[in-house]
Amino acid sequence: MTSFMGKVLRVDLGAGTAESVEIPAQIYEAVLAGKGLEAWYLYNHIPAGADPLGPENILAFAAGALCGTGAFLTGRWSAACKSPLTGGWGDANCGGLFAPAIKQCGYDAIFISGIAEKPVYLFCDGKTAELHDASPYWGLDATEAEKALHRELDGVCRKKPCVACIGPAGEKLSLISGVCNEGGRIAARSGVGAVMGSKKLKAVVLAGARPLPCHDPDRVKALSRELGHKLLKMTLPTGLGVFIGAGGAMMGHLPNIPLDGAMTAYMFREWGTQANTSLAITSGDGPIRNWGGTPRDVRLMEAVYNPEHINRIETAKYHCYSCPLGCGGRLNIRGRKHVSFDETHKPEYETIEAFGPLLMNWSLDSIFQLNELLNRAGMDTISAGNTVAWAIECFDHGILTPAQTDGLYLTWGNTEAILKLVEKMIAREGFGDALADGVKRASERFGGKEYAMHIGGQEPGMHDARNDPQLGIHFVAEPAPGKHTVGMNIEYGAMSLCDICSWAPPARLHAKEKDFEDTEEMALISKANACYTMLVDGAGGCYYGQMMGVHTWKLVDWLNAAEGWDYDGDHYMEIGERIQTLRQLFNVKQGVDPRSFKLPKRMLGEPPLPHGPLKGVTLEQHRAQVSSHWRAFGWDDKTGVPLPETVKRLGIDKLTEAEP
Amino acid sequence: MTKKTPVFDYLNCVSCGICAQACPVSALGMKREGKSGKYRNVFPELVNDKCIGCGSCARACPMEVIRMEDAGDES
Repeated sequence: MTSFMGKVLRVDLGAGTAESVEIPAQIYEAVLAGKGLEAWYLYNHIPAGADPLGPENILAFAAGALCGTGAFLTGRWSAACKSPLTGGWGDANCGGLFAPAIKQCGYDAIFISGIAEKPVYLFCDGKTAELHDASPYWGLDATEAEKALHRELDGVCRKKPCVACIGPAGEKLSLISGVCNEGGRIAARSGVGAVMGSKKLKAVVLAGARPLPCHDPDRVKALSRELGHKLLKMTLPTGLGVFIGAGGAMMGHLPNIPLDGAMTAYMFREWGTQANTSLAITSGDGPIRNWGGTPRDVRLMEAVYNPEHINRIETAKYHCYSCPLGCGGRLNIRGRKHVSFDETHKPEYETIEAFGPLLMNWSLDSIFQLNELLNRAGMDTISAGNTVAWAIECFDHGILTPAQTDGLYLTWGNTEAILKLVEKMIAREGFGDALADGVKRASERFGGKEYAMHIGGQEPGMHDARNDPQLGIHFVAEPAPGKHTVGMNIEYGAMSLCDICSWAPPARLHAKEKDFEDTEEMALISKANACYTMLVDGAGGCYYGQMMGVHTWKLVDWLNAAEGWDYDGDHYMEIGERIQTLRQLFNVKQGVDPRSFKLPKRMLGEPPLPHGPLKGVTLEQHRAQVSSHWRAFGWDDKTGVPLPETVKRLGIDKLTEAEP
Repeated sequence: MTKKTPVFDYLNCVSCGICAQACPVSALGMKREGKSGKYRNVFPELVNDKCIGCGSCARACPMEVIRMEDAGDES
């Protein structure tokens, strides 16, 4: 017995049909489940040149291999499709309860093609899979739609259903929209929400209750217990967050020091990802004033975004399925300035950075409101923040005028104007309509392309490649460009991949300058990072488990116990390599030239920043580093296209012949 | 026949929610508010009278903090 359900649900919204399809065991051995299964299926089944918002595009939802086995931090679900934002591979990933719900219906993944005639939702309880009328829910925000579906179904189903749905942004085909679950947790990136909206699919509702298989549940749980007991003892002193900003300022001057990955667990348990905000402001990691500013432009802003402020209004921690860490939280925001809601999920670092320092916005309260507004609308906060930053900079330079912005004075840090603009983007009203498809489309229409921060059409996550050049490699070499969750040097230092992988270089204390050089070691580091991330995604693991390092979050041991395998780390890293190569092949099939993904000039250090921790930094060897990364993967180092011998070595040629 | 009911050792519970999701009738919810060390947290508890005493929650719990105990006679 393995942990796989062995089947997927294939839905055709145009024909109104749903069928269960068996997946050969060799596919799971090759790519696991989650993003791996999605990559294999979408590469095979989406025809070249398919319209991302047309019936041929397939929207996938998948749970990972370890989900439901008892392994901790393995409750992530993934949504994938051909991205309307980039024209190539698109995926987004989210926590909550939806991942186990997929498997409890008896499937590892759900693949949805076609377009429904009128709004529908997919209901599956493990016995039947049906399309129901979603007209009463169309127009509701994601949180209200989820509540309404629960009101309709909770008494009917034996098991409380899990709902993944789009909000108004997805319905209105905003290319920066995502899919939500659990009251506003969102799989936000790549425009997956627009694809769902184009299919007139409001929600997927899952109410299965099947027991989930596992080869050796006792061994899996013993490994989890070891981690659980460690986490129960982890506590940081209250108030420590006030020093994080100073720590960030210091980090700007220190060499790269490999840290114990368990330290990240302390931080995420104490504050969640928002702990990074004040550190990012002072260290150079977080972008300021549309990636053109420095800490001097927002002096002492780290005090505003001190994570202790948010901890004080946290009513309880929020845990995704199978997570003992609880980096999420529910916040009581009632009565705060700019705020019209009573509570919100704790904003992630990305959201705070994108609507705080990036826009020179000093109002933490406004970020609570923006967080809840965007989560309910189902709009990506990273893309939305980058797009608003572009609009403000264009306004600053006179490229946009009040006549074009519906009278909004889009000045830096103008909280009221930022809130109004985001509301307009969600409603696709006036000037907001032009911004609802992201910064690339907006700049093509209005100009100001030099201020449009995107890579291949997708806005970058809130980490600066000038601070961490490995991030720059992944921003452009990743098949879904602009994603910040593939690899960073600080993360590599914490993971100790060399202890599970024979070819992964050890993390050593070294001067930061070395990271900017095009070396074989750097190429292997970036390759190892990408392979491990893909492996984690195939297992359904959480990025924050990954960051704890292989000695704390024992992925290889869990996989062997759950599947009854006895593979070493090298074998598993090859699975990651296979998944990443499949995703790259998807782009090649869809006519996306990997060379067209380029860092914006500003992120290359053109012009260099005048002061601060990134003063004078340029990424002169960035393109050479990307070529070396491609070469390390066995892809053509000039074009980024996987070489035939690599496809053969990874057995992808045989996999693509295996039709379900 | 004696019906079983889950009893929780909250001191060693890590709030992972695996038990609540394993429950085939959604009798468990992460609704009990309390503290885990200094952190305000949520813990599992029976949220309705649907529990069938199947023990799925106890079997699924990695931390082994759920015990199935007699809930009294059920005729």
